[in-house]
Amino acid sequence: MTKQAPGARIDDLTVVYKTTAGELPAVRNVSLTLEPGTITGIVGESGSGKSTMALSLLNAVQPPGRISAGSVDIDGLGDVVTLQGEQLRKARGRHIGYVFQAAQNSLNPLKTVGKQLLDLGRSHGVEDLRGLVKEAKELLGRMGLDGARVLDSHQHELSGGMRQRVGIMLALVLNAHLVVLDEPTTALDMITQANILKIVREVHKERGLTTLIITHDIGVVAEVADRLAVMYGGRLVEQGPTREILAEPQHPYTKGLIRAIPRLIGDIDEAQALPGRPPTLATVPKEGCVFRERCALRMDVCDTVDPQAVAHGSRIVACHAVTVKEHA
Amino acid sequence: MITGNGITKTFRQKGNVLGSREVHALRGVDFAIEKGGAASFIGESGCGKTTLGRIIAGLETHDGGEISIGGTPMGPLKPKQREPYFRRIQMIHQDPYSALNPTRTVHQTLFAPLKLRARQTGRDARWMEERAAEVLALVGLDPASVLSRYPHQLSGGMRQRVVIARALTVDPDMLVADEAVSMIDVSLRLGILALLKDLRERLGVSVLFITHDVATARYIGDDGELYVIYRGQVVERGQVDTIIADPVHPYTQSLLSAIPVLHGLEQAAEHPVVPLETLDASHEAPGCLFARRCPFRQDRCETERPLLQLTDGTPQEHACFYPERRSVVARPVSGV
Repeated sequence: MTKQAPGARIDDLTVVYKTTAGELPAVRNVSLTLEPGTITGIVGESGSGKSTMALSLLNAVQPPGRISAGSVDIDGLGDVVTLQGEQLRKARGRHIGYVFQAAQNSLNPLKTVGKQLLDLGRSHGVEDLRGLVKEAKELLGRMGLDGARVLDSHQHELSGGMRQRVGIMLALVLNAHLVVLDEPTTALDMITQANILKIVREVHKERGLTTLIITHDIGVVAEVADRLAVMYGGRLVEQGPTREILAEPQHPYTKGLIRAIPRLIGDIDEAQALPGRPPTLATVPKEGCVFRERCALRMDVCDTVDPQAVAHGSRIVACHAVTVKEHA
Repeated sequence: MITGNGITKTFRQKGNVLGSREVHALRGVDFAIEKGGAASFIGESGCGKTTLGRIIAGLETHDGGEISIGGTPMGPLKPKQREPYFRRIQMIHQDPYSALNPTRTVHQTLFAPLKLRARQTGRDARWMEERAAEVLALVGLDPASVLSRYPHQLSGGMRQRVVIARALTVDPDMLVADEAVSMIDVSLRLGILALLKDLRERLGVSVLFITHDVATARYIGDDGELYVIYRGQVVERGQVDTIIADPVHPYTQSLLSAIPVLHGLEQAAEHPVVPLETLDASHEAPGCLFARRCPFRQDRCETERPLLQLTDGTPQEHACFYPERRSVVARPVSGV
């Protein structure tokens, strides 16, 4: 069974959470296109809405959250926002593989990996369970593990890096071609992280996937992603080709974030923390730019008008200051 | 000044019918941290760096070797006598979310140690108020706005600052920061690192920084010493920027090679060092601990264990029979 890498188009997506202060948007008017066969990285700090956005690809935002506007259109599947019940459950796994944040802890501690694999197969109506196990072994072997041994193991018998690879296997084994990895290397060592990222890159290429990686670590995205999207306060503030953004960030937040990365060499004083703190659901400004409180380029218009995402060549940036400069 | 000589620690895991298993967490580690100095322990998880940090903070016992604080050996002292020494070494934990009691305000959190301190030194309530405001100001927080708040009302970065402020209430000589920024938002990490550096400079507090992210170690001070620890043994030691630029031990080179390259900003090194296998902590052999994973191993490495020795003509030390300088870190792209 071969499938084409599917594209996905997130259009004007808004996800709100119900709180005592009313419904507050965790993701607001976000548009992002995942081109078939690419790796896209979404970078954001805690509370930026990146995980919520990834969950909406599966239409899996849990109450008190809900998708209040927009669409998520996936090739061969249609708009997942309109899918419900059994249709939706089938799409997850078959079309979209999801490797959860802390995959190390998302396995069932009471069952062997093999048993969980069979559960997965049965719940998706796989008739050829032997074939499924064979496929799983191949995938695990591909990632440098002894498939038979891993399938016979319980979670506690596997290291963090091994569990992460099991998570990737479970996401891919039903032949999904759109894969979402939520913080795939958080809590892993540098060497293990490098190893997992290499695997992600290779498996992506070999199986012809469309991959989305959610992370707080720009280094991870720099290492694997073709395209980079930066989220802040529920908004996508900048997106474009990874290398271009790293070489020449345009949005003041992207600039600040890149400047804040501790670097291995070079002048220590060049790296600076961004003043202020990231907003939470309750403190995100209701109107105007979400970043203005921490922004060096703040103008009057930023207080009242939410900047639109505007394309500048290969880049899409949502910032008044950048737009003004472009048109000057 | 705090020194350690030949510190060893072995954990015995309760086993099954086949008997118990021994894990050598530390295999004779030497270190010295000057007053106001900085040292960083780096290595993979399970390498013993946290255990060593806990031993230094007096939270864990060690089996062999000697720790001296300010020239006084701790070994012969009774636990009660050691207390005042170890009180001056305070630990900052990785997770500021669980290090603070969620039911206590910042005021209550700071006053618990301050009351003890006031009783010992015969100070009054006013001194406590002043001292609380003083330590909060030292960590860059506004006392008026944070004292009455609960931890959940603070961001991760602010919580970590409160944790540091709490440690400062007892006038410590040293802070042991165990992965103190790994749970802090990226845009705020440098702020915490700069704070630790600032406390060194202003108060003369030494900082022991435990991390797996080598780059962060530079930011508590480039005069700091870096200890690269592998399976309980220091395999390379030296001034932080020198070790990053000129590592001679293949394990240090592997660690540095694994750091993501910021393509666009940086140019990857031409010959990164990639370990052959993954870490297997249960494998015990007479030779070099890293030999199984080392791409440059030779016969001698399998049978004999190298000891820490001076790297030719430098103050650095390494534990490798075949040390060789390899430049493995990414270079900044010129013009950026």
